[in-house]
Amino acid sequence: MTTEQTVRSLDDPDLFVETPGTIYDAIPPLPPRTEREAEFYTMRDGEMLINLGPQHPSTHGVLRVVLKIDGERVVDLDPVLGYLHRGVEKICENGDWHHAISNCDPLEYIAAMFSEAMPVMVAEKLLDLGVPRRAEYIRVLAWELNRISSHALFVGWLALDLGGLTPILYGFIERDEIVEMLAALTGQRLLFNYLRIGGVNGDLNHDFLSRLGDWMGNALKRIEDQQKLLNSNEIFVARTRGLGVIDRDLARRTLLSGPVLRATGIPYDVRRAHPYSVYPELEFTIPTREEGDSYARYLLHLDEIKQSIHIIDQVLHRMPDGPVMAKVPRLMRVPPGRAYVSIESPRGQYSAYGMSDGSDQPFRLRIHDPSFFNLQAVGLLMPGNLVADTMAIMASVDPIMGGVDK
Amino acid sequence: MRISPTDVAQVMTLLHDDPEFRFLILSDLCGVDTGSVMQVVYHLWSDATPDWLRVIVDGLPREDPRAPSVTFLWNGAEWAEREAYDMFGIIFEGNRDLRRIYMPPDYQSFPLRKDFLLADDAARSPGQGVRHMEQTFQPAEYRRTPVLRQGLGSDAGHMAPGIQTAELASGEDPAR
Repeated sequence: MTTEQTVRSLDDPDLFVETPGTIYDAIPPLPPRTEREAEFYTMRDGEMLINLGPQHPSTHGVLRVVLKIDGERVVDLDPVLGYLHRGVEKICENGDWHHAISNCDPLEYIAAMFSEAMPVMVAEKLLDLGVPRRAEYIRVLAWELNRISSHALFVGWLALDLGGLTPILYGFIERDEIVEMLAALTGQRLLFNYLRIGGVNGDLNHDFLSRLGDWMGNALKRIEDQQKLLNSNEIFVARTRGLGVIDRDLARRTLLSGPVLRATGIPYDVRRAHPYSVYPELEFTIPTREEGDSYARYLLHLDEIKQSIHIIDQVLHRMPDGPVMAKVPRLMRVPPGRAYVSIESPRGQYSAYGMSDGSDQPFRLRIHDPSFFNLQAVGLLMPGNLVADTMAIMASVDPIMGGVDK
Repeated sequence: MRISPTDVAQVMTLLHDDPEFRFLILSDLCGVDTGSVMQVVYHLWSDATPDWLRVIVDGLPREDPRAPSVTFLWNGAEWAEREAYDMFGIIFEGNRDLRRIYMPPDYQSFPLRKDFLLADDAARSPGQGVRHMEQTFQPAEYRRTPVLRQGLGSDAGHMAPGIQTAELASGEDPAR
């Protein structure tokens, strides 16, 4: 294709008229490519487009949402992704299975212990590798701690996006204690890189256990404080109850998972629906709510924190002795095959589909991130709401852009 | 379970609606490039069994991979199909919004295909030459095209061919 571009003077009066748009403008400079895009960018009387993000603090990362508004009401919206796309799946194909662990770490950066489990569990399934029981218990312990830190932050973010500053500080206290605890265990605060194919990187140490003991003593009390702070806060309740309601059928059709799905009353939790690790041996319930609104999602997160504390309690009582790593070769040639694994992350079903061609590199490693699908549902929840409430809905669905954009 | 692309709608509807199967939850949808053919892989879950059902739509030609969309059963599959289109170029017929989702809209190649090699690979296997396949260009007419700023009436000519909204079909000018 030949591009005929003439150099134009800045004095040219036509220059400003014909200044081309960029693909980052609210209206892309392309003719609409799909039916949906044509529909979205067709403006009716009194409608206007505004760009929300990609650097808006309430979008929880670098998400851009093109909102079509009529006055204060959101008519439609078009989320634009890809600002954080790193091509993790492609990078994983070009490194070996061990590299995939640290490459998958930053996907769900608030709860990295879950995303880094994906290549590990796929490889273990393909290798048909038994993991020592102590390693499985340590994994569950780390997962549940990470879930609590993520949920504690969720509650804080939700209140922050509604204008309340205090809960985020409490959320960060909780999170910081757990993160320090996991740092004592893994050496990292955020991207742990702790799980290994065949086990975990290191055994429990004294520093971790003493921090855990300190924290466990008043963990439940803290959650109750959190509840007292928000559950009966009139403004909080008024702004979240009845907001962003999803019914069961819509939730199932939009492939939701995690707390967003369970807030609609479907008790779908991968820990029970498709048991993995040592979860079948542990006792816990799956909290559900019927309302499906933001307030139900908030309450559900608090219930799940309590269940996680209950699980941690059991894990600590039942922790077996033994090795934390299976005997695995250093250069791991994974037998050819296909495997699909799935775990319950704080945001829903985190799953991966791995294919191996018998070499030491994954042939294909597909990561399925729950935030991606939950964010898609935001597009169905927002229309009809006020612009100020879009953030409350977004925060209650809690997407993590690292995982959405991969 | 391997099926051909022509059977997708029928098989999926049966699995979804039949009271014995009840595969109501689509866990995952992804594209795969095996190097010779393209595949679309679905993982379904039913409350009747804890196992996943893997449905592989096999044998899509690499030159023109086309598969029917399953958005009529799960409208949440829309983004998953957009992702598979973005990464592999698989065209899902029936998806209302098959745009690129991660890469910029003017991007031309499909990154997760096996013949898309990263720049590093040239260094990894010397003698193969530079195989950096990334090629983006901005067609000149795209940059100059005015968009739907003035309302539909004057802009109908700029719509992509084959796309007709309800307003356009009826000839009504919504701005009026």
